Amino acid sequence: MPVTKEITKIASASLPFEEQWAIRRCRYASGLAGGRLCIAAGTHGDEMMGQLICFQVADRIQREPESLRGTVDIYPMLNPLGLDIMERMVPAGIRLDMNLAFPGNPQGTPLEILCHAVMQDMLGADLVLDVHASTHYKSELYEVRMNEADADRLIPKARTLCPDLIWVYPEYAAYGSSLTSALCAAGTDALILEADERRRKPQEIAAGVVSGIFCKMRELGLWTGETQQAPAPEAIPVVRTKAEVCRVTCCNPGVYVPEDRIGTEVRKGDLLGTVVDACEGVVRERVTAPASGLVFSQRSYSAVYPGTLIARIRKEPV
Amino acid sequence: MKKEVLYTVPSYFRDDMKILSYRFGKGEKSCIILGALRGDEVQQLYVCARLVSFLRDVEKEGGILPGRTVTVIPTAIGASMNVGTRLWAPENMDINRCFPGDAAGSTTERIADGLFSTLKLYRYGIQLTSFYQPGSFVPHVRVMDTGRQNPELGCEFGLPYVYVRKPRITDKTTLNYAWQLSGTQAYSLYAGKTHEIDETAAEQTLRAIIRFLNTRGIIRSENSPGHTASVITEGDLTQVSAGAAGLLRRVKFAGAHVRRGEQLAFLLNPSDGSVKEVLKTPATGVLFFVQEGPFITQYSPVFQVLTGK
Ligand SMILES: [Zn+2]
Repeated sequence: MPVTKEITKIASASLPFEEQWAIRRCRYASGLAGGRLCIAAGTHGDEMMGQLICFQVADRIQREPESLRGTVDIYPMLNPLGLDIMERMVPAGIRLDMNLAFPGNPQGTPLEILCHAVMQDMLGADLVLDVHASTHYKSELYEVRMNEADADRLIPKARTLCPDLIWVYPEYAAYGSSLTSALCAAGTDALILEADERRRKPQEIAAGVVSGIFCKMRELGLWTGETQQAPAPEAIPVVRTKAEVCRVTCCNPGVYVPEDRIGTEVRKGDLLGTVVDACEGVVRERVTAPASGLVFSQRSYSAVYPGTLIARIRKEPV
Repeated sequence: MKKEVLYTVPSYFRDDMKILSYRFGKGEKSCIILGALRGDEVQQLYVCARLVSFLRDVEKEGGILPGRTVTVIPTAIGASMNVGTRLWAPENMDINRCFPGDAAGSTTERIADGLFSTLKLYRYGIQLTSFYQPGSFVPHVRVMDTGRQNPELGCEFGLPYVYVRKPRITDKTTLNYAWQLSGTQAYSLYAGKTHEIDETAAEQTLRAIIRFLNTRGIIRSENSPGHTASVITEGDLTQVSAGAAGLLRRVKFAGAHVRRGEQLAFLLNPSDGSVKEVLKTPATGVLFFVQEGPFITQYSPVFQVLTGK
């Protein structure tokens, strides 16, 4: 049975000038028994990595259609208007964070109506992956993120996605209205994938994540083709509590010049980067690691303020 | 009057951003008024500036009651006002989504913490704020339903309505919520427009704050009598949304009394001027909120009609 490919507008609202604000889904259906995986991206318009990840998944399915079982739904651009102008928020006059508008409301604002439609379309899937990326000035390892409330159930399921790190968010108000937490609350498993690493080519980063997605698809019975071996459970570091993360910030404003530390183990006292002042020609601050461990977030070359996040270190287990 | 720098955000490219406060009187920290938290809250800034000027005169005339302190913070986001951005630009963050703040957190969380460490010391807190959608409100006081609210006290502002609102998940990081939880009686005042000065609404808001300060025994000053306020909730409001997209031509404005079936606005095709939709009120009442437009996306809430009161 051939794999069918169908692009559907799952929801739309008219804009003032001859345009639809539409959310599109591309469905790859094998016609064979199997589950359903949803891959979403582009909730935040300033995060582009999801485009390439969605493309690579679609590309592989189309090159090896005989390996597909069940259905894969891809929603690459949940915030199309934001993506078009590289704006994180939803433009359309209101500048709201789409990932604070779930589960939406069928009687609400245009954004709430679209969010509700996205939820309805995804509910009942075996798994939903919401692909994010770090913002402009940050590098991030390939991480799977989830809420504390869902961690016991989801950590074992996240391992076969083969991430560099699993990060459990502490219970924090704002995440309560994200796509993934709204889906989890409604009984559909959903995980956030995060990947963006400035020093590597985007196609390499995407390939790493996509390899993990196919490994997961194989485990879910959606893919019969070759995939990488899932690492042993203990091989993937898990950050479960606030105490396990060392959040490094700078104290001075200036221009931050990073050392290349992402993905490496640093020792306490190692230099992470320097804050320089071009006007006075002086070094304002040397930012060093307050603890030993794996650097999983790293600020890129950019202007900083006191409090700007420089790095996140997963502290070495004692 | 004591002018103080409450908090400083050091900057590399430009001048440091200073958050200023103006303190009147001595003794118990009775009431604090906060203006703009977003770079476009012009009206909120303006009301605070007028209030500082007014309290300066009151203080000269001995009108601040003994043992009472009242403080005004006109803006916490002067740097964004100077360059025309709504949010705290270096992080593209809304300060009013970062409370109670964190002294060791991001820059925005540090600003929120810097503010909150002072704000929480006061018995009464008044925030002049704006809605996420551009538009006009009938002047009202908002109180978050946290279980610690006191809407009766909100009636002392003498504005027509006190709106008690159930917090949503995303409201839990707002100032009003954090304030209420830390023991301050917190009120948000909405009036008129945001991006431009609305003299009538500014005057009304200013009078409302003065009235509250009078009845709470913080200042003594002549003032006009206020309205008898009604306490309302979300259930008293009916939304009128646009079924089509286009240019909005309003014929009714905030504060208007409307009868069921009356025309409120026309949605026009922006290219040929034809009428795509006539928005009518489904119920008799007062127009509580009116979106400004002029561009309207399909399904956008355009009016809120207050019914049943
Ligand atoms: Zn994101």
